[in-house]
Amino acid sequence: MKRRDFLHVGFAGGIGLTLADFFRIKEAQGAQKFYESKEGPAKSVIFIYMPGGMCHQETFDPKPYAPIEYRGPMNSIQTNVEGVRVNETWKQTATVADKLAICRSMTHGEAAHERGTHNMFTGYRPSPALIFPSMGSVVAHEFGPRNDLPQYVCVPNQPNQFAGTGFLSSSYAGFSLGADPASKGFKVRDLNLPGGVDEGRFTTRRRILDVVNDHFQAKEKSDSLDAVDTFYNRAYAMISSQKAREAFDIEKEDGKIRDEYGRGTAGSRLLLCRRLVESGVRFVTTTYGGWDMHGNINGAIRGQVPQFDQAFATLVRDLDRRGLLDSTLIAIASEFGRTPKINGNAGRDHWPKVFSVVLAGGGIKKGIVYGSSNSIASEPEESALTVEDWATTIYSRLGIVADKELVAPGDRPIEIVKGGKVRKELIV
Amino acid sequence: MRLHQSITTLALLIAAATQVTAADAPKPAQLNVYPADVQLTTVRDRQSLIVQAEYSDGITRDVTAEAKFALANGDLARLEKNVLYPKADGAAELTIEYAGLSVKVPVEVQRATEDPPISFKLDVMPVFMKSGCNTGSCHGAASGKDGFRLSLFGFDSNGDHHRLTREMPGRRINLAIPEASLLMEKTNGVVPHTGGKRYDMDSEYADTLLRWLRVGAPQDQGEVPKVVAVEIYPKGAVLDGEGATQQINVRAKYSDGTDRDVTSMAYFLSNNDNSAPIEQNGVVTAAKRGESFIMARFETYTVGTHFIVLPKGLDFKWNEVAANNYVDELMYDKFQKLRIQPSELCTDEEFMRRVYLDVVGVLPSVEQYHAFLNDADPKKRDNLVDNLLGRKEFVEMWVMKWAELLQVRTTRSIAYKPMLRYYNWIQERIASNMPMDQLVQELLGASGGTFENAATNYYQMEGDPKKVAENVAQVFMGMRIQCAQCHNHPLDRWTMDDYYSFAAFFSQIGRKSGEDPREQIIFNSGGGEVTHPVGGRRMAPKFLGGEVPDVAGKDRRVVMANWLASPENPYFAKNLANIVWNHFLGQGIINEVDDVRVSNPPVNAELIDALGQKFTGYKYDFKKLVRDICTSRTYQLSTATNDTNATDTKNFSHASLRRIRAEILLDLISQVTDTKNKFGGLPLGARAVQIANGNTSTYFLTTFGRAQRATVCACEVKVEPNLSQALHLLNGDTLQSKVGQGNLIGKRLEEKVAPEQIVEELYIRCLTRRPTEKEKNELNAVLAKVEDKKQVLEDVFWALLNAREFVFNH
Repeated sequence: MKRRDFLHVGFAGGIGLTLADFFRIKEAQGAQKFYESKEGPAKSVIFIYMPGGMCHQETFDPKPYAPIEYRGPMNSIQTNVEGVRVNETWKQTATVADKLAICRSMTHGEAAHERGTHNMFTGYRPSPALIFPSMGSVVAHEFGPRNDLPQYVCVPNQPNQFAGTGFLSSSYAGFSLGADPASKGFKVRDLNLPGGVDEGRFTTRRRILDVVNDHFQAKEKSDSLDAVDTFYNRAYAMISSQKAREAFDIEKEDGKIRDEYGRGTAGSRLLLCRRLVESGVRFVTTTYGGWDMHGNINGAIRGQVPQFDQAFATLVRDLDRRGLLDSTLIAIASEFGRTPKINGNAGRDHWPKVFSVVLAGGGIKKGIVYGSSNSIASEPEESALTVEDWATTIYSRLGIVADKELVAPGDRPIEIVKGGKVRKELIV
Repeated sequence: MRLHQSITTLALLIAAATQVTAADAPKPAQLNVYPADVQLTTVRDRQSLIVQAEYSDGITRDVTAEAKFALANGDLARLEKNVLYPKADGAAELTIEYAGLSVKVPVEVQRATEDPPISFKLDVMPVFMKSGCNTGSCHGAASGKDGFRLSLFGFDSNGDHHRLTREMPGRRINLAIPEASLLMEKTNGVVPHTGGKRYDMDSEYADTLLRWLRVGAPQDQGEVPKVVAVEIYPKGAVLDGEGATQQINVRAKYSDGTDRDVTSMAYFLSNNDNSAPIEQNGVVTAAKRGESFIMARFETYTVGTHFIVLPKGLDFKWNEVAANNYVDELMYDKFQKLRIQPSELCTDEEFMRRVYLDVVGVLPSVEQYHAFLNDADPKKRDNLVDNLLGRKEFVEMWVMKWAELLQVRTTRSIAYKPMLRYYNWIQERIASNMPMDQLVQELLGASGGTFENAATNYYQMEGDPKKVAENVAQVFMGMRIQCAQCHNHPLDRWTMDDYYSFAAFFSQIGRKSGEDPREQIIFNSGGGEVTHPVGGRRMAPKFLGGEVPDVAGKDRRVVMANWLASPENPYFAKNLANIVWNHFLGQGIINEVDDVRVSNPPVNAELIDALGQKFTGYKYDFKKLVRDICTSRTYQLSTATNDTNATDTKNFSHASLRRIRAEILLDLISQVTDTKNKFGGLPLGARAVQIANGNTSTYFLTTFGRAQRATVCACEVKVEPNLSQALHLLNGDTLQSKVGQGNLIGKRLEEKVAPEQIVEELYIRCLTRRPTEKEKNELNAVLAKVEDKKQVLEDVFWALLNAREFVFNH
């Protein structure tokens, strides 16, 4: 709470103007909508993003009875949920389908990568007037850090500009690892002491730094100074807390578990995500693969999916075994789906009208299929899921009322999500 | 349920009477009566007056209730307390007396017996605004609320009339039994209404709606007078102690020459409810000490007046302080009103560090430090400013700032070469100190190839004429007019008409490919218009807040540029002055600098006006403006506060801490460690400030918030802290490797300099000061303990670079 306060007072300050008054200004302009965020069933989110536009047909919404030009070159398999089929490459995921909510009716109107990406990360259509904050940054804004760990972490880096803080202060940015957990000798950037500096020397350094800072801190009082102090204290806590550091250390994981996830990109990233949420991170964003499959979709899917299938199914099982699935919301999303018809290059092009997303755990119903697309997967047939409702439903699981207004430049009150509804059929 | 304030009945409540009676009251220095003239037209008209006593110490009191009103000719008008109603045509004088002072107000009555027909636009629409019906959170939302939509803040009255009367025939209005209209029952709380009850059935608002319904809910026929000005009274107030009240009075002037008391129709807001909250009946009640801007919104106008609230019986004596120039004088005027005393002057050391960082973005060397401190010339601060203004780093700093405002970066349509030419174009002009008006005119009026006349790259950043118009308004006038694309600006004067007619200046930009595929040619296509989305009218180009110029046969952009960057445009000079001020003082006089609007008033209006005038007078030579600012005492104040200004964060009564921006921070680290950087496109050793392309960055620069120049927003440069910054300075390679590479400590130890001396040099290099005795003792204690002197001195260096004192300008 404290942190949020000073970050705001910085620009709301002035004689007689406190944070509370700042909000009262909003009230005068039409009563800013305010709701206190309280932790919900989901304590954490693992947000897995598939950049490029993941086809729905070759993943979670196969159309085995459609004509070949729509069905595509691949087969489907039965999952462990009666009557629910997925693409043939998702063998392991098919065995955990009873823990998932597969949504086959996601829809929006943006066929450009960056615009679709914006939708899925922010819950808003792109606006020329305003940059919206990503869900991760909103979570960092609404909740403080847990167990010395940053609230919002990007594995390995902030995946795109829309995963940023938007109009919120850049203090709410995701903490980027700066290195890929799948790489050899993976180390989070700047988390470990530099070469030649052992703990003893670091202690000396801190002592000297305290001497140097004392003079200034005794002399100056300022919100911006306190803000820097806060982040230094968080950095110290992270550097000195073995638990916090180990959350980022994938080497600490049992070899068997590492093998179960797979040691490739998908396995390493998702395993690290699990370690992070287990340790206290509230929102982890990661990405996998490149899904802009304009040509040879069969080859591309066969090349890319198995690794992810293994990692994702393991993530679900692993969280479940640890009793963390009910408090961890997993989401798989992409900017859009792909065209109903196979194109001249045996691929599929951009298609935002209907596509699939997956939710699991953290207050989401298990073993359901939500909504459907029509027989050729070209349009939603039942329960079209809008961008606003998608984001609002995720926020609701975290205990955030998405109708709450945040303050954008120009003292403009802006809802976290405008006009979204929680899809009751999706939640427990 | 978002508007908590219920609209109370509108009887013009006069501020609660005070205990002091008129007879024994202290004599005010002046009596202000508002408005200064009364014009009553038609039987429905009325005019309330307010009387404000102004005392010699600046404090004001609302004495309306105690003042005596006397009308010379009682046949002309009826006086009820402080409200005049027409009786018969003619002219007379109203005399107002209080505490021995008197003021005369001319009263004119016309068409006294005429009862004008009700007007949808003039009478009914204001009810929706006043009652909050058409705000963005209620029916003004783009999709309406609960199935009923009104245009946001009433930008489309024809559409609103249609929706009320025709959209769902028979549902919203009932012409047979007007009182039973859903419109009436919802707003009076007779039937459930998400927005609750808005007003009573016996209120003026209900009465207006009923009158309109009883005559058949007509739309206006023919020309309807337009509001041409809205006045708010009193013109400022200084309230003495919690509980003091002041009635606000609002008058609208119409295009047919009439006026109207719209106090009951205006929507009131205060930008600081903690100090001066306002009720919807227009009464301000003083609360905690502070400043507040009281605003009234009527039609498309938002007008404001400045209030100061002081604690009752505050003991304050202004200590005279010498002013260095007009900046200080205007500051002192405001400080005296606020009863605050500015801080003391900062020390020479503090001044030196501050002015180096602000003017040239480098730190003084050890030699410069000693020379300045030992200089006995009383004018040495002014001399230093002059000296720094002549350095090339001053040019580089402002080239960087302009490159941000003008978005110099490679994009999909701008290759590296034209980008670099564009950067050089700016660089050449700033280096030769080209007057700013000339630079901006050349830029915005530019035609030709993006190679050969690189200024044309400005029009390559953005292709949509509307967006270009928005950018121009934001950068050169400091205004965000985006809102007005879809609705009239809720908190400013800009309407959709203003928006689209300004955009029309940019509707005839022709673009074609040059011979080199990387080059584009920008030319005047001579065709292309902008139409208004409501009704599809073709909009003639009109200066923002100015006139409709003759553009026939001319390049519209040239016409616009010649107006924009000229004294004709009241915003241009002030806006640039504010940008310069913001750079040196850490925040704008209007803050943020690109958020100029009625509802975001300057903290010192006289100062921003003076700076604008000076800048114009200097023929837009901004070096002179910088000199005025840096040599002012206000710029040279200490950060240490006194009892009176400790809580002030926006009046510049003391210096404030500013995190040093990314480029300069990296340059400083390189400078003090004697190391060089290599950035893409620049030779080894170039400074980060000199990077031409917004897309060239490093981990350090990105982490510390370098602007990518993707938008014109001043907010792109980020100085907020984050975890990655702290980790990077603590553990990252920037400090670790630079301290090692520069090997300053190693060299000094080789030169047999004593460790204490090295510590002192490091302090001067990094912090422009010597270590204090306490610091010396504590550091010596650490130095004594560690065998490896080089290592521990490098740790001191590391600590100094991690110090808050280093990363902040103070």
